Amino acid sequence: MTTSAAVPAISTQQLRKVYKGRAVVQGLTLNVGPGEVFGFLGPNGAGKSTTVKMLLGLVLPTSGEVRVLGGSPQDPEVRRQLGFLPEQFRFQTWMTAAEFLNFHGRLAGVKAAELQARIPQVLEQVGLGGRGGETLNGYSKGMLQRAGLAQAILARPRLVFLDEPTSALDPIGRVEVREIISGLKREGVAVFLNSHLLSEVEQVCDHVAFVKAGEVLRSGSMAQLLGGEVPVEVRVDRVTPDLLSGLGRLGEVQLLPDAFGQPGVQVRLARQDDLPLIAQTVGAQGLKLYALTPHRPDLEGLFLELIDTSGEQKTAGVGA
Amino acid sequence: MRNVLLIAELSLREALRKRLVLILLVLTALFVGFYLYGILRLQNTLDERALNAGLDFDPERGRRGLTGASVAFSAIFGMYLVYFLGSLMSVLSTVGAVSGDIENGVMQSIISRPVGRGQVVLGRWLGFSIVNVAYVALLSAALLVGVHVITGYTPPQPLTAVGLVLLGVLLLTSLTVLGSTLFTTLSNGIGVFVLYGLGFTGGILSTIGQLAATPTLVTLGSFANAVMPTNALWLGASYYLQPEYVLQLNRLSRGANPFVGTDPVGGGVVIWAAVYAVAVLLLAVLAFRRRDL
Repeated sequence: MTTSAAVPAISTQQLRKVYKGRAVVQGLTLNVGPGEVFGFLGPNGAGKSTTVKMLLGLVLPTSGEVRVLGGSPQDPEVRRQLGFLPEQFRFQTWMTAAEFLNFHGRLAGVKAAELQARIPQVLEQVGLGGRGGETLNGYSKGMLQRAGLAQAILARPRLVFLDEPTSALDPIGRVEVREIISGLKREGVAVFLNSHLLSEVEQVCDHVAFVKAGEVLRSGSMAQLLGGEVPVEVRVDRVTPDLLSGLGRLGEVQLLPDAFGQPGVQVRLARQDDLPLIAQTVGAQGLKLYALTPHRPDLEGLFLELIDTSGEQKTAGVGA
Repeated sequence: MRNVLLIAELSLREALRKRLVLILLVLTALFVGFYLYGILRLQNTLDERALNAGLDFDPERGRRGLTGASVAFSAIFGMYLVYFLGSLMSVLSTVGAVSGDIENGVMQSIISRPVGRGQVVLGRWLGFSIVNVAYVALLSAALLVGVHVITGYTPPQPLTAVGLVLLGVLLLTSLTVLGSTLFTTLSNGIGVFVLYGLGFTGGILSTIGQLAATPTLVTLGSFANAVMPTNALWLGASYYLQPEYVLQLNRLSRGANPFVGTDPVGGGVVIWAAVYAVAVLLLAVLAFRRRDL
């Protein structure tokens, strides 16, 4: 196993998993850099959870190569540096939270003295400070998810897998999880985030991959994926040939149907910095400007664009 | 080894915290108390009859003949019940040792830690073996000591007999752990009980075969005993629980009683049972290594 900081956190080549003759993951090639927060998105049945399990050594790939922190996920030394919050966070509920964390800490090879200090620390971090002595069967679903998150970050991992980490949390809990992810990023910990809450992914992830039917449809940094043309809706009192000509110099122009009696056009700006030029162009023509609305692309739009919107996949949502 | 002990400790704590041990102790006290009360009544009846018949009975020298045999049989059948309860306990407590954790999702967070899958299987086996062996040893001791206190009867070789019973319990625990790595909890429970029943069926067939001088049935019984030697182990254990005059009595009946054996257990059976237990445990380790979670 390589321990160099430059080694990718995750690297897969043509990863494939077949269950009973059906390929759940096929030809999946991924690269997650060290210290990167990576969003893994796709519709139900896209193979996201199976991929996460292969990356953790829980499921054996049918073919292909998988490297995690430069080694095999089957290697205990690699797994010693991983943290994992499963989507179905089911734990030994007869334990207290502190016992649960102590057990996982010992499994991870953390020394008893260090655990004594670390357990209250992570409980505090996930919002369960002072609740470590309570048995998990008395915890609410959200509290169990927080305990699971504490377990995932307990042993100071270099790579954390979070599978739907906020599914049971209230808005405050979601903000706290985002802060924890940001904190991990600051510490140089890579995070592999599987979430159907695209707005959250957009806020915390550096890179994103969209998968469908076990294949990567598109991947890239947030800037690459969302930083292209900006469609801008322009509403004026009237559309003249001179206006179309002037706006055409800024970007591709398309006429829009009237809205509330106001004609409009859409201008696809190559650069967001050119927004003021639209107002200047309208003003130079002596026209009245009623609205100038940039429609910045977001992950949800991109998701819907990428994923086939026909049939059940459109209605199934994006959870794995 | 550290992880094996950690998982074993988890299993033991689980058994304690889920009140499995407490329930077992309460039910065991009820069973032993109920059975020993029956033996106490038997003893009183036998004493009364001896006095009425004007026999010069000295309880210190113990009983002989049919009255002595009834006391010996009460100890033997008591131990048979202990073995049955122990077998039941071995299967029921262990049936979800691995599959239960897979089914409820707990296993994912354990296996993603730096712990080998083999260590998880061995740790679960060790933890449940300790519980099962301790339970059967305690139950055996309570019953045999209780019989001794009430009747003054002690089987000729109780430790050998209990040792064979414990080997049977370990074999069942190993088989149940193997099933737990391969099948769902319910399927595993059914499967192991069917195997246990096969062993008992083998004993019955052998008995009938000997009684009716039918070698085919004896062969079938031997086959069943090889596939599942738990019954053969019990028959061997029962031999060490019988005094000589009870053995002679049973030999006279040409093995008509399928619950007791009249010959010491063969060394081959003991070795086979031990090798079998170890082999299925290793198989469990191998099976779990390849299993997708």
